Amino acid sequence: MTLRALGGVVIARLYVQRRVLLYACAAAFVVGILQPEGAAGPVVFCSLLGIAMALSQSPGRHPHLDRCEQGAPLFGRELARAKGLVPYFGASLAALSYASAQTVRGSHDAAFDLLIALAAVAASTSTALCASIRRGWSRILYILLAFTAGTMTYALAVTAHALLAGFAFAALATFLALRQYGEALARYDPVEDL
Amino acid sequence: MPLLRMRNASFEGGGASAGPVTLDVFPGERTALAFGSAREASIVALMASGIVKPSQGSVLIDDFDPRIQSINCKRVAALVPHEPCGLNESEFVRYVLYRAALWKIEPRRALAHAQLLRKRLSEMHEAFAFPLIGALVGMPKLVVLDRPAAAYAPQTLAVLEGRAVFSTHASASEMRAFLTSPFTASGRSGTPA
Repeated sequence: MTLRALGGVVIARLYVQRRVLLYACAAAFVVGILQPEGAAGPVVFCSLLGIAMALSQSPGRHPHLDRCEQGAPLFGRELARAKGLVPYFGASLAALSYASAQTVRGSHDAAFDLLIALAAVAASTSTALCASIRRGWSRILYILLAFTAGTMTYALAVTAHALLAGFAFAALATFLALRQYGEALARYDPVEDL
Repeated sequence: MPLLRMRNASFEGGGASAGPVTLDVFPGERTALAFGSAREASIVALMASGIVKPSQGSVLIDDFDPRIQSINCKRVAALVPHEPCGLNESEFVRYVLYRAALWKIEPRRALAHAQLLRKRLSEMHEAFAFPLIGALVGMPKLVVLDRPAAAYAPQTLAVLEGRAVFSTHASASEMRAFLTSPFTASGRSGTPA
C-alpha cells in the first residue's frame, strides 16, 4: 500500500468524523481538568474513546467510504492498517488533550501518563476494530477484550511497575489484533448492510 | 475473451442469498439483468465487481478469480453503488483526490478527468453523479451499476460509452429504461439463468 492510499483512507475517515474528534478532545480536556493525577484517568477514558471510535468504523456508518474502500485495489491487511490508524489517531489526540489539561493543573507526571495512555489506546482500539465487523456475542466479547487489553497495559506498566512489559504487551496485542482484523476484512462479504 | 464471466454464480450467507447467475459481458458490450428483489440485485452487482465472493459457481473478471485475485479484479471492474452519495459540490475535489489515492492515479490527471465528466453530467444531481465519476476515476474496463437511477439512464450510458457495462435492476421496468436509451447498440437484457 502506498503512503498516499493510507493517507487517503485516514484523512477521509477523520474528515467525516471531525466533529466527534473535536468533542472527544474537548471531553478529554474537561476530564483531565477534573482528574489530573494518575495514569488511570487517561488510560480508561481514552481507551473507551478509542473503542467507541473503532466501533464507528463499522460497515454502514459511512456507506460511501465503505463502498470506495471495498471496491479499491487494496489487500485486507492494508485496509486494516489504514482503518486502524483512524481510531488510534483520534484517541491519541484525545490523550494529548488530556495531558494538556493535566499540565495546566500542574501535574508532573503528564508525559509519563500520556505514554502509557498511548500504548493502552493502541491495544484497545486495534482489538475493538475486530468487533466492528462482527455482530452479537462475538462483538460484545471483542469489546470486552479491547477494554481488557487497555487495562492490562496499565496494570503491567503502572501497578506492576514493569513499563517495558506494558509496552511489549500493547505492541503484541496491537500486532495480533490488526493481523486478525486484516484477515477478517479480506474474507468479509459486505452483504449484511444491504 | 469476456471481461465478466459468471457461471452459476450464487451467494448465500449473512441471511442473504442471490443467484445463480450465468452470463458473459464482452468488452464494449452492455448487459442488464432484472432480479426479484433489490437485495439480490445488489449482491449480484457486488459479485460482478469482485467485492463479494460467490459461495457456489464461479465469477471471472478479465480472467481473474475474485476469491484469490481480488486486487486484480478491482483494477478491472468498478462498482457504482445504488445509494446516492451524501456529498455536496464543495467536496467534489476532496472526493476525487480520495478516489485517486486509493486507485493510485496521478491526482492532477484524475481531477482533470473528473471535471470533464462533471461537465458532461451537469444535468445529473451530484448525489448520483459523484459515485459514477468516482468509479470512472480508476479507468475501469468494466463498470457495474447497482440498480442505477432510471431517470438518468441516457446521461449515465453516454459517459460509459465504449466500456463494458453490467447493470442489475430490481424490476423489469427500470431495466427497460437502460435498454431504450439512445445508446443501445450492443445492449442485452435478460433474467438470471
